Amino acid sequence: MTLIAARPGPGTARPYRFPAVVRRTVAGGQVVAAHLPGQNLAVALLLLDAGAGREPVGKEGVGGVLAKALEEGTAQRDATTYALAVEGLGTELVTGLDWDSFQVSVQVPVDRLTAAVELLAEAVRTPRLDPADVRRVRDDEATALRMDWANPGPRADAALRADLFGVENRWGRPMYGDPDSVAGLDVDDVTVFHSEWFIRPGTLVVAGDLDRIDLDALGAAAFAGTGGGPVERGGPIEVPLREQRRIILVDRPGSVQSTLRLGHPAPHRAHPDHVPMTLAGTVLGGAFTSRLNHLIREVRGYTYGIRGEFGTSRRFGRFMVSSGVQTAVTAPALVEAVGEITRTQVGGVTEDELAVARSWRAGQLSVELQSPRSIASALTTLVVHDLPDDYHARLRADLLAADVEQVSAAAAAHLHPEALTLVVEGDAAVIRDELTAAGLAPLADPTS
Amino acid sequence: MPDSGYPWPIETTRLDNGLRVVVSEDRTAPAVAVNLWYDVGSRHEPAGQSGFAHLFEHLMFEGSVNVAKTEHMKLIQGAGGSLNATTNPDRTNYFETVPAEHLELALWLEADRMGGLVPALTQETLDNQRDVVKNERRQRYENVPYGDAWLRLLPMLYPPGHPYHHATIGSMADLNAADLATFQAFHQTYYAPNNAVLTVVGDAPAAEVFALADKYFGALPARADIPPAPDGRTVTPTGQPVRETVTADVPAPRVYVAHRTYPFGSPGYDVATVLATVLGSGRGSRLYQRLADGERIAQPDLVGAYGVDLAHAPAPLIATATARPGVTAERLAEGLAEVVDELATVPVTAAELDRAKALLSTSWWRQMATVDGRADTLGRYATQFGDPATAGERLPALLAVTAEQIAEAAAEVLGAADRATLSYLPEETA
Repeated sequence: MTLIAARPGPGTARPYRFPAVVRRTVAGGQVVAAHLPGQNLAVALLLLDAGAGREPVGKEGVGGVLAKALEEGTAQRDATTYALAVEGLGTELVTGLDWDSFQVSVQVPVDRLTAAVELLAEAVRTPRLDPADVRRVRDDEATALRMDWANPGPRADAALRADLFGVENRWGRPMYGDPDSVAGLDVDDVTVFHSEWFIRPGTLVVAGDLDRIDLDALGAAAFAGTGGGPVERGGPIEVPLREQRRIILVDRPGSVQSTLRLGHPAPHRAHPDHVPMTLAGTVLGGAFTSRLNHLIREVRGYTYGIRGEFGTSRRFGRFMVSSGVQTAVTAPALVEAVGEITRTQVGGVTEDELAVARSWRAGQLSVELQSPRSIASALTTLVVHDLPDDYHARLRADLLAADVEQVSAAAAAHLHPEALTLVVEGDAAVIRDELTAAGLAPLADPTS
Repeated sequence: MPDSGYPWPIETTRLDNGLRVVVSEDRTAPAVAVNLWYDVGSRHEPAGQSGFAHLFEHLMFEGSVNVAKTEHMKLIQGAGGSLNATTNPDRTNYFETVPAEHLELALWLEADRMGGLVPALTQETLDNQRDVVKNERRQRYENVPYGDAWLRLLPMLYPPGHPYHHATIGSMADLNAADLATFQAFHQTYYAPNNAVLTVVGDAPAAEVFALADKYFGALPARADIPPAPDGRTVTPTGQPVRETVTADVPAPRVYVAHRTYPFGSPGYDVATVLATVLGSGRGSRLYQRLADGERIAQPDLVGAYGVDLAHAPAPLIATATARPGVTAERLAEGLAEVVDELATVPVTAAELDRAKALLSTSWWRQMATVDGRADTLGRYATQFGDPATAGERLPALLAVTAEQIAEAAAEVLGAADRATLSYLPEETA
């Protein structure tokens, strides 16, 4: 035999180290930076308290329209000139939002970072927002959402979110809005959202070689002309669990797969069980080696992949499983998925599984935190959730210290298989009877 | 900026069995990337076996002589690592990034599946992964609007028998017909040390990696007669444009315009890369400026152009746009064709060229920002061009491209007679 049978053990680990974090107050705003010596690329990301959670009910998607409108010209230059200036530095203006924040960032070779941040600030603080442009951008965004919603997934996501959190609440509606909510926005919605949330200084996150970066100059550029202080962000929202499991069927005629979204409300990000909950989610569905993927993909062959995780934001959270399964096996896949969630809630995790989950989550803190972009994202977590500079090192220690009892207790407390909403987006004519016969839950009218 | 696109050390060796080993040490972070390029892809598949190289990639995670089914993933994730593999027409790559103390584990796992897959391969595993791949096909190509565009474009660009004629995902019929013996033979034919490059980048010294490579891979036998893929370097133009119109359940008309350019790695492909960026990357690109902003016939988020970096035949360049409401596919196709045609007649300005090069520089350094990105790059250059150090020449070569070269390339390969146009029409307007 030419192979070596004995599996090698690990060598000596070097100590874990998150890049040194620098915090500074400049020109009325906060700068939070990480030092990446030798990196040729740098990222600067302006973090504003203007996430989807700040959008009024009925105005879903206004942040997305504003994000696009920022690039339609500024007080100083028209859209084309602006695009050529930004892209001439080697970056595009990357915008994004989640429930807790709005982010706009640039990524450039380090010697161009100040120029890029100046352009970023110009768009964020002094966009032209010409009414005709805003209307056109709104129409384009509505069209873009219509395109996106033609894919499997968005309609199922929306049905689940509405069922979990209630459509009367902003957080019960899609994070990016839907085609109709965006089409219904007017120019004032956009300009008011800008004046309310985009003039406050916010936080500038920087990841790069700080020996070659002038943080004061970056802060001065990012916060010039800003005003207004932070606004109360609101506490955790209590979301009741359903008393009974239910199935919501979203029709997609002719679909060769059924898109599954299974979920229930779960604790918010600052909950003390965050670490054991994350690990319980990892064992159940958060990794390729998890229970769900093993059974539904590797044993049954029903899917290309299935994931399940706790997702948390500042004010609320949820547990969700998502997958696409072949139409013919929709019901058995659902039965088996609910079975694994139940087994995990009732029986907890094993030491063998937890060993993989905790090592994986801990190892990811070095393996996946290499690039300026990923480090900037990690810094963003510190800012949004008010975490200390040594958070990642502490998180790593907490992950590695979590034991079977703690993680099993978190699974028992925070998984609720009996309260699951099972959203199935697929060919209703083909799967409806089978879903009913499976006896998992009654079929609900999605509007009730 | 450095003069080279690869300002890190590179050391190489070749084991007696032909395995090339590339090491680039960087102790910045305590992580190490292990990457294997096997010089086999869907271009090697004979008729009736489409999709086999990719299905085989799946089987590589399902156990080998000393590694139980699904244990590969468990061991890498249990070490804190990330892993994956991809197959394309040219090659198959396998890669994991692990905390540096687990380097030896990663090498052991890769050696075990290079040298010991066949005895562990069962009919049950094949049947399971065949189902997984068929679901991958449904999820990525069949169940999404426009999902089959790539499957349609390839046969429009490359004639029957050409190694790029069929798509890597394969056909359902061929996947259904796959039998165990074929896969056993596939491994024995292509998964030999002399058909692979092992690259290790990160927190590991070259001498240590070379010794470990020899320990784990050194005794695996070379294979003398690895059959080459069919030669696809010359594609004779028909002199006739190709058009295909698909009426499908799509939300808006969409048009793809595709051309064969030059093989990845050639000077011509460098020109095509800059050209594609001028044409279709970003809001300052010609397609955005003309079709999304100027005439406003294209949706701004869905207009663009890109090259597909295949190395063994003239590689595709694809430009695409999706219609704004009320705009027909014909109008959009005309607009796309006009902008592509003008690359030969309207000189690229200095500002356009600078913009494209700045974007390409950032893109290059983004790939170089992680040890895994570097490892895949070095593995590619070692496999396709025989020397990983040539990776450092790519960025300078891109930055040296001139406006004249772009106009010449456009005149040579983007002519209307060599154009493939694929249009999608929504069902209700058909």
